Amino acid sequence: MGTGHTSNDKDTEDYLRIVDVRKEFDGFVAVEDTNLSIRKGEIFALLGGSGCGKSTLLRCLGGFERPTSGKIYLDGQLMNDLPPYERPINMMFQSYALFPHMTVAQNIAFGPKQDGMPKQQIEARVTEMLKLVQMEKYAQRKPHQLSGGQQQRVALARSLAKGPKLLLLDEPMGALDKKLRSQMQLELVSIIEKSGVTCVMVTHDQEEAMTMATRIALMDSGRIRQVATPDEIYESPTSRFAAEFIGSVNMIEGRIEEDMKDYVTIRAPQLPDVIYVGHGISGYEGQDVAFAVRPEKVQISKEEPAQPHNKARGKIEDIAYFGSHSVFHVRLPTGFKMMANFANQERWASEGMTWGDEVWVCWGENEGVVLTT
Amino acid sequence: MNAGIGRVLAKLVPGKRWGVIAIPYLWMLLFFAIPFLIVLRISFSMRDQTSSPPYTPIIEYIDNAVTMKLNLSHYATLVTDSLYVQAYGSSLWIAAVSTLLALLIGYPMAYVISRLSPSARNVAMMLVVLPSWTSFLIRVYAWVGILKNNGLLNGLLMKLGIIEEPLKILYTPLATYIGIVYCYLPFMILPLYTNLVKHDNRLLEAAYDLGAKPWQAFLKITLPLSRAGIIAGCMLVMIPAVGEYVIPEMLGGPDTLMIGRQLVNDFSAATDWPRASAVAISMLLLLLVPILIFNRVQQREMEGKLT
Amino acid sequence: MNAFRQHWLTWSVLTLGFAFLYVPILILMIYSFNESKLASVWSGFSFKWYGALFRDRDMLNAAWLSLKLAFFTATGAVVLGTLASLVMTRMRHFRSRTLFGALITAPLVMPEVILGLSLLLLFVSMGNALNGLGIGQFQPKGVLSLWIAHVTFTLAFVTVVISSRMSELDKSLEEAAMDLGANRVKVFFQITLPIIAPALVSGWLLAFTLSLDDVVISSFVSGPGSTTLPIKVFSSVRLGLNPKINALATIMVTIVALVAVIGWWWMRREERRRQRDMQLAMQDNG
Repeated sequence: MGTGHTSNDKDTEDYLRIVDVRKEFDGFVAVEDTNLSIRKGEIFALLGGSGCGKSTLLRCLGGFERPTSGKIYLDGQLMNDLPPYERPINMMFQSYALFPHMTVAQNIAFGPKQDGMPKQQIEARVTEMLKLVQMEKYAQRKPHQLSGGQQQRVALARSLAKGPKLLLLDEPMGALDKKLRSQMQLELVSIIEKSGVTCVMVTHDQEEAMTMATRIALMDSGRIRQVATPDEIYESPTSRFAAEFIGSVNMIEGRIEEDMKDYVTIRAPQLPDVIYVGHGISGYEGQDVAFAVRPEKVQISKEEPAQPHNKARGKIEDIAYFGSHSVFHVRLPTGFKMMANFANQERWASEGMTWGDEVWVCWGENEGVVLTT
Repeated sequence: MNAGIGRVLAKLVPGKRWGVIAIPYLWMLLFFAIPFLIVLRISFSMRDQTSSPPYTPIIEYIDNAVTMKLNLSHYATLVTDSLYVQAYGSSLWIAAVSTLLALLIGYPMAYVISRLSPSARNVAMMLVVLPSWTSFLIRVYAWVGILKNNGLLNGLLMKLGIIEEPLKILYTPLATYIGIVYCYLPFMILPLYTNLVKHDNRLLEAAYDLGAKPWQAFLKITLPLSRAGIIAGCMLVMIPAVGEYVIPEMLGGPDTLMIGRQLVNDFSAATDWPRASAVAISMLLLLLVPILIFNRVQQREMEGKLT
Repeated sequence: MNAFRQHWLTWSVLTLGFAFLYVPILILMIYSFNESKLASVWSGFSFKWYGALFRDRDMLNAAWLSLKLAFFTATGAVVLGTLASLVMTRMRHFRSRTLFGALITAPLVMPEVILGLSLLLLFVSMGNALNGLGIGQFQPKGVLSLWIAHVTFTLAFVTVVISSRMSELDKSLEEAAMDLGANRVKVFFQITLPIIAPALVSGWLLAFTLSLDDVVISSFVSGPGSTTLPIKVFSSVRLGLNPKINALATIMVTIVALVAVIGWWWMRREERRRQRDMQLAMQDNG
């Protein structure tokens, strides 16, 4: 976790510090004592299902909720006692919250106006923002005259108009349809990076977090389970929850049989043989663990693989065809169903294997993760 | 006493944004709540036409001692005098019958309107509400001309040969019923419509699909679901109707006893303020429970808790 | 129910219902042009009752007073009602909130005789107290009392109208404004107020109408120099039919109908414009 530090990181490391922040509502704990350090300029995602506390935490940052305990520091300044209108933080709301009685230009100008910026400066700012989001032509339109994607851009421009130190995004893609989403994700990132602002976003969509964020904090029931970059969280989840939340995974329960310095074997009732893990782990013999291996790391073949470990025979029960790849669901004699991805690199490549076929699945000794939580 | 009020106010009005809360709060306390306390206090007094105001004080300084004289004779009269007992009974009866009639007329109308297309129903509801924007007094007056012995209705019926002697409708309880229903009908239709228009058509479709006939679906689904609207409408008509004064005064004649009329009578004709106050308090007690129910429902609606 | 039966039912209910509501008014209006004073005899078309109406000084003075009173009542009720609505919809946690709510909504169903009596007794007590303390003369029955009484009883209705709109207002709009640097006061005047303005207008109109129409409460608290129009009308119709009242009624109904039609037409136009705008937005794929 956290590889690739440069010497400058020490200054920018604690740009936003969330220290022991806890939020309770009438006895219900929405956010447990949480600690986070966010670097200047990064796009940080709070990812989790509904009710996990991510929105509450975001609202604490924005000033719409007061933490029951704990402190929030932005650029060294304590935020706790500041109301939303005094914080150098701006938020883009899930519903965009564009003022219906004002034009696009007036919406964007609203923030700078509250600061008492002189009129010409405001106009220049508005033009600059409109250019940033490519909405120059729509300056005089009212929100109800815009499509969903256009409204989102205006909302973004409005929240960047004051050049805040921190930008908050609440489910930024929530209101858009699927096709638009993928396109806007990259565009949004590009705009944010161009403006250089530090950003914290909240989402339940793991794809969105993986695409847009530089680092992700995975949340569950008010707690942070793991903080890592997208690839770290995907390839090295530190808990069952993390492994299952992001992407799909084959989760196998078992017990450590041999715990050696450079290898470990796991006895799992769901597999015919022991699992051979090609590296040592910090565990002990007899420990109950879960072994997680992602479907794309599992190979499927008609002939028996050469490797001595990590293979099993089974019958193809289901095939889910996704165009770019297929997911084979293979039922092992133990009853366990294993998922194996097959990339359709050649046209009609997977034609050879079909329902009911006897096949072999196998994976490399370092392609899985051993999870103790 | 001022310090006491200050402390009471401080408890009633919370900390920070009290300025905003205080203004309407104080207004209503002063001009709505306190008057009731005054009415209560005066109801324990006796009529005294020599003093101004025309009632005796309750708390008096006699021989350096504060004595309080609570006179309950008015309340006794209210319970024992047949005039008042009849007036209460008559008021409740008239209000109940009028409410029922208003419901029987208003429900079909609300139902039918809620089934129209959205633009049609907006127009229809506007037409329903429009009469209530014109003067209430004038609408009651309209019926005087129609129901008189030599009025329009009798004239028409006699010309058509349906009757030979004019029907005596004006200055009877019947005219009061007609008047109340006529004036309060929009208040019955409005909450019914608001409720009915939110009903999901698909519930009825599901019922038909399962074999229910239209009238069965109506009885078993629409009617129960519109219960909240029915209650709201009945409350909005019945509670004020009990205390009606103008309608029975203009249309009811001397035989129509209503408690509201009695109150005004005691107050102005007999200048018996304490008696009138006692009548007012008793009316309040009579209506207290329905008012509280209505209040609860209305409050939650205003806060946006009810859909 | 098949389409025909439903159609027949709809039309008969609507016709009968609206006939019941409107025929009496129409009769009233028609007879304002009746030459004869009697209701059952039509003796010819005449404007003479309108003439008599406009020559009636007392009636005109009362009308003018009522209009002024209604105007100030409506304005006062809207201001107080907006504050009360703010409390009801935005301030969730304070003690005695149920008391506040009850105080605000109770007048909605309270019989007017009780309201009238209690207010008069209050004013009398206030008058005695202030006179006793030497602070000056307060007339228990007078224009000021009328205004206070009218604002008090219309406040409930206005608050219902405004608070229903306020509770529908998307809270995130206000939060967004605060996020962008506006404190609560600025948010209220720059965001909340403009958006709920239509509700304020309908609340104002409602209070205006209620005030203009009130006879019971006004009777209690009005004095010899402050006769309102409804009081005048009431006293003249107690003596019997009076075609001048028919003329007055016709004028009032016509004005109300005109305002209603104009208002409805204007709202339809706004609605259609909104629809067009949204279509426009759908079409271009900016």
